[in-house]
Amino acid sequence: MSERTIELEVLRYRPEQDSEPWFQTYKVSCPEEWVVLDALNYVKDELDRTLSYRWSCHMFVCGSCGMVIDGEPKLACKAFLRDYGNRIRIEPLANFPIERDLVIVMDDFMEKLESVKPYLIPKEEKSIDQGEYLQTPAQLKAYKQYSMCINCMLCYSACPQYGLAPEFIGPAALALAHRYNMDSRDVGRKAREDTVASHEGIWECSFVGACSEVCPKSVDPAGAIQQVKLTSAIDYFTSWLPGGGSR
Amino acid sequence: MSRKPYQRELPKTTWFLRHARYKKYMLHEISAFAVAVYLLILIIGLFRLGQGEEAWAGWLSFVTSPFGLILHLIIFGLSLVHTTAWFKAVPQAMRVQRGEQFVPGPTIVGAHYVVWAAVSVFVLILAGVA
Amino acid sequence: MARSHKAPFWFLFAAGGTVVAFVLPVMVLVTGIAPTLGLFEGAMSFDAMSAFVGNWLVKIVLFGIITLALWHAAHRLRVVAHDFGIRADAPVAGTVYGLAALGTLLTAIALLGV
Ligand code: SF4
Repeated sequence: MSERTIELEVLRYRPEQDSEPWFQTYKVSCPEEWVVLDALNYVKDELDRTLSYRWSCHMFVCGSCGMVIDGEPKLACKAFLRDYGNRIRIEPLANFPIERDLVIVMDDFMEKLESVKPYLIPKEEKSIDQGEYLQTPAQLKAYKQYSMCINCMLCYSACPQYGLAPEFIGPAALALAHRYNMDSRDVGRKAREDTVASHEGIWECSFVGACSEVCPKSVDPAGAIQQVKLTSAIDYFTSWLPGGGSR
Repeated sequence: MSRKPYQRELPKTTWFLRHARYKKYMLHEISAFAVAVYLLILIIGLFRLGQGEEAWAGWLSFVTSPFGLILHLIIFGLSLVHTTAWFKAVPQAMRVQRGEQFVPGPTIVGAHYVVWAAVSVFVLILAGVA
Repeated sequence: MARSHKAPFWFLFAAGGTVVAFVLPVMVLVTGIAPTLGLFEGAMSFDAMSAFVGNWLVKIVLFGIITLALWHAAHRLRVVAHDFGIRADAPVAGTVYGLAALGTLLTAIALLGV
């Protein structure tokens, strides 16, 4: 097992002491098969107990350990040291306020997620006795990709439009709205549209596409948003026709 | 414990220098200038065409001047940037589902390139024959 | 939240972007680069060009291409302004769409004059 000494440059921000963030360097001898999260855990356990960061599952499922590693938004559990040099720069996710060290404030994201009504709105509620809402494999396939999101917020960190205009609802939330819109059991598209097709919604997106490039789950939020733009544009025109949808 | 979150600002005018993918995006965005300039030249050309042979010759001499050529070469380059970037994005914006499968992205992009080639050849034949 | 009115402009942007992607490179080649290289000399001569653009079908197709491309460029320039940190979206939008409308009008006049 080969080991090598890696210098981790970690952005620190301790609200009690620091007026602004600064980089602290930790030297860690790392086995080559470690991921960045392992190295951070080593620092926390052995070198500096004051370092704060979020993590949980260590297997790309929980979406907690998103951070910016060498300028790229990544899950620290999915960033293998063998792909990096001997110096690795670790920063919290961009575009979010820093709570402490690598921990960001995610309240804004949670609000936006809620604003798109990310749950099934069925045509008629069924009781449990009445059974499931049935769906064919093809109907499942239509939205499955957009349901893979783990809310890691890497896409928000990569999105310059979110950075420039924080009111933008942003990639993951809009992709999730699309996920429910595309679900054959759901009739909530109209209810979501007021948020989704608002100025803060899809129209703030200029299709930079960075979100889809950094997404660890291949959700392709950028693609989802363009698809919503097309259906919303068609809505816009048909709403002017007699009998068209309400505006 | 009192909270004191630290907000880092994205530099409003230079943010795209931070990453290669943002520079690529900006290059594509900038292609709009090339399209606009080309259309301006073209519309002027159409006016000149209506004004008679001499006016048309004047427009042509602008196009064939060194400045005109360099301008058009830049426009041509940026138009290729637009075309390739646009085609690349099509499968994201337009998914075609057949049963449980999606038509693969490369097939959709490939079809676009085929049509592009056909359109281009058609225009070239038109220019060569007309 | 109020629905945005960007939809129709985005629609023109998307339609125009598709047209630009398919036809602009070859058009630039024919009208902008070939004349210098001495290619298609016959095609770009006054007589041939007048006859070509004189055709009604050609006029309609050219009008479609040019105007869609204009609105495409206009919308993208609006985004470019935003991306360079100009946040006064309303005046920017008014300017670029105004220019596109003017261009549309001029294209029609120019084509009718041939
Ligand atoms: S869309 Fe992808 S990058 Fe964005 S939060 Fe979901 S999983 Fe993370």
